[in-house]
Amino acid sequence: MKLAIKMIFTLSIIGIISGSLLSKLSGWAEPKIAKHRLEDTKKAIFLVQPKANTYKKIESLDFELYKVSINDSLIGYALPYSGSGFQGNIRLMIGLDCNLIKITGMRVLEQVETPGLGTKVTEESFTCQFIDLVTNPLIECIKGAKATKVNEVEAITGATISSKAVLRIINTGLGELRSLKAEGKLR
Amino acid sequence: MKNISLIKEYSKGVWKNNPVFIQVLGMCPTLAVTVSAINGIAMALATTFVLLFSSIIISSIRKIIPAQVRIAAYILIIATFVTIVDLVMKAQFPELSKALGPYIPLIVVNCLILGRQEAFSSKNGVLRSALDALGMGTGFLIALFSLGGIREILGNRTILGLQIMPDFFEPWLIMILPAGAFLTLGLLMAYLNSLAIKTKKKEKALLVSKFIIAKNKFKIEAEI
Amino acid sequence: MSETISATNAKLEIARSPHVHSHWSTKQAMWLVIIALIPSVISSLLFFGISQLLIILVSVSFAVATETIIKTIRKQPISISDGSVIITGILLALILPPNFSLVSTAIGAVVAVGIGKEVFGGLGFNIFNPALVGRAFLQAAFPVNITTWTKPSFTDAVSSATPLSLMKFDNKFESLNSLFIGNTGGSLGETSAIAILIGAIFLLATGVINYRVPLAMILSAVIFGGIFWLINPLHFPNPLFHLLAGGFLFGAIFMATDWVTSPLYSRGMWIYGIAISLVVILIRLFGGLPEGVMYSILLLNGFVPLINKYTKPHIFGEEK
Repeated sequence: MKLAIKMIFTLSIIGIISGSLLSKLSGWAEPKIAKHRLEDTKKAIFLVQPKANTYKKIESLDFELYKVSINDSLIGYALPYSGSGFQGNIRLMIGLDCNLIKITGMRVLEQVETPGLGTKVTEESFTCQFIDLVTNPLIECIKGAKATKVNEVEAITGATISSKAVLRIINTGLGELRSLKAEGKLR
Repeated sequence: MKNISLIKEYSKGVWKNNPVFIQVLGMCPTLAVTVSAINGIAMALATTFVLLFSSIIISSIRKIIPAQVRIAAYILIIATFVTIVDLVMKAQFPELSKALGPYIPLIVVNCLILGRQEAFSSKNGVLRSALDALGMGTGFLIALFSLGGIREILGNRTILGLQIMPDFFEPWLIMILPAGAFLTLGLLMAYLNSLAIKTKKKEKALLVSKFIIAKNKFKIEAEI
Repeated sequence: MSETISATNAKLEIARSPHVHSHWSTKQAMWLVIIALIPSVISSLLFFGISQLLIILVSVSFAVATETIIKTIRKQPISISDGSVIITGILLALILPPNFSLVSTAIGAVVAVGIGKEVFGGLGFNIFNPALVGRAFLQAAFPVNITTWTKPSFTDAVSSATPLSLMKFDNKFESLNSLFIGNTGGSLGETSAIAILIGAIFLLATGVINYRVPLAMILSAVIFGGIFWLINPLHFPNPLFHLLAGGFLFGAIFMATDWVTSPLYSRGMWIYGIAISLVVILIRLFGGLPEGVMYSILLLNGFVPLINKYTKPHIFGEEK
């Protein structure tokens, strides 16, 4: 009995001390961490919507979507969306105009593709193809030739799967967004 | 046990009982984060910090903790320091924290840390425990730095971000993939083991020759 | 079958078990395999140009050099003349893409012999096929170079896709005729089915390889490939395509029949061959990569000790 009390007592004391220490520390760290996260989002949004100067999260939806505007007049949206790539998840930030037809820009936020091969989807030479790309009909990719149609991008040589994965993520993300718009939920 | 010198208490972790190459502890961070030298250093420093402070705390309260709940108590203390490291890194070095991903919180289950508490800190004084922790930390740092360095040089042409291999050297991408970690660790261990076997053989040969000399001396003396 | 290890006093010579009776000694058999590889070497030079000879020479010489150096360091007898390391060199070269970088070829040969074979203790001790280990290393190390294929051409190199990647990414099927002769994109020695078959007939006639593994692989590839083809002939290729495209035949004849890394007993050989084909078809039709022969043989190499354990025939009179 005495031992049991001693065991409980020691563990509780250690727990209380560590708990209070950590709560102090997290009080200092949390705002900083939140700030970093916010800055990352902000940076990504303005990269895919270079003309914009303000953005606002649409709170009524159950996934992340940002309204982007110049001086309070809406110019489009920024959609962080993820899907599976060659080895793991790819997370993109997609910039769109008001009608959800043209892409204003695209950035890869997170990916675990093959280094030196699939990771080329993050490079400027690939992502810049998405600027002013028309997304309706669905985006397609072609191999080994320059893109000619307005809804085409050139796939990366040797990384067809990663290139196609990016397109698939964008297409499904936009599909979802359009059906939301049709339901009138994008207000 | 107490007659071991303080210097030896520190240096045993660096080489003779190196946590990675000899004890083969903490393989998860060793293999997963050593894609570059800087990641290796950061991981080793974070682990050393946790190891050092938990060793100090645990060795100083080792007589108060009831034996039945010692593991729970150790884990509580270790987890506290791991959370401290995690929060500080996220707040101050967001880039590094992103690169190391989930492996910082996973220090909690690194066998190296709990192993040293159970095997050493719970039986030794504060000074010796701290030295032991620092020694193990140094050994861990050497191992992770050399692994990360080799993988970064071959896989990315750079070391600590500085390019040292010429441009015509085609990077071996396998080195920054998980398979490269296993290959590098395996070959390094094989090399170090062969060195250890050689030194042991030499020591043995020395001992035998000493014995023979002594025996001959004894014989000569006996003949006289 | 396996290398002879000299016991410490060099008087007693013990060979590692299993002691399988064979008409040929290891040394003779290895040279026969080299002869069987000659048609494939010739076809690769014919279709991809005489300069491909350099890849083969670099691969063989670095393989031999690695073996010599490691054997010297480990103070073991140098066993180049048994031919096995030369075979590893030729095999590695023949499963590389045409015009592959010579530096990378050399690295592949060093890895094949060093990590694929000598780390385990040399010939007879290796778990995985050394040439495939070298190829897998190169695949992971230089994914861009190793998937850059040039079309067969006598004048200059034209970048092209392999029949398998055409099938996978564009749903186009190469004609079986060009697959059979070898006038198509692919690894040096793998494209020409006819050259491989000449070598296969030679090896089977001389009895160097057993018919069971290749036959099991071919039959089950036809069956598994056929099932998917019957389900949807537009989306899946016909079974003959599976046999002739990529490295399937080359793998079935020269890789999966490797004495050291394939099962010992006939039941095990059937299991091994069928499992390889199943994995190949699954990777080709549903996996991320266009070709899967290399990975499936390596994977099944890892299972060989287990297969041997469970297919060991019972000794007459032994109780179950």
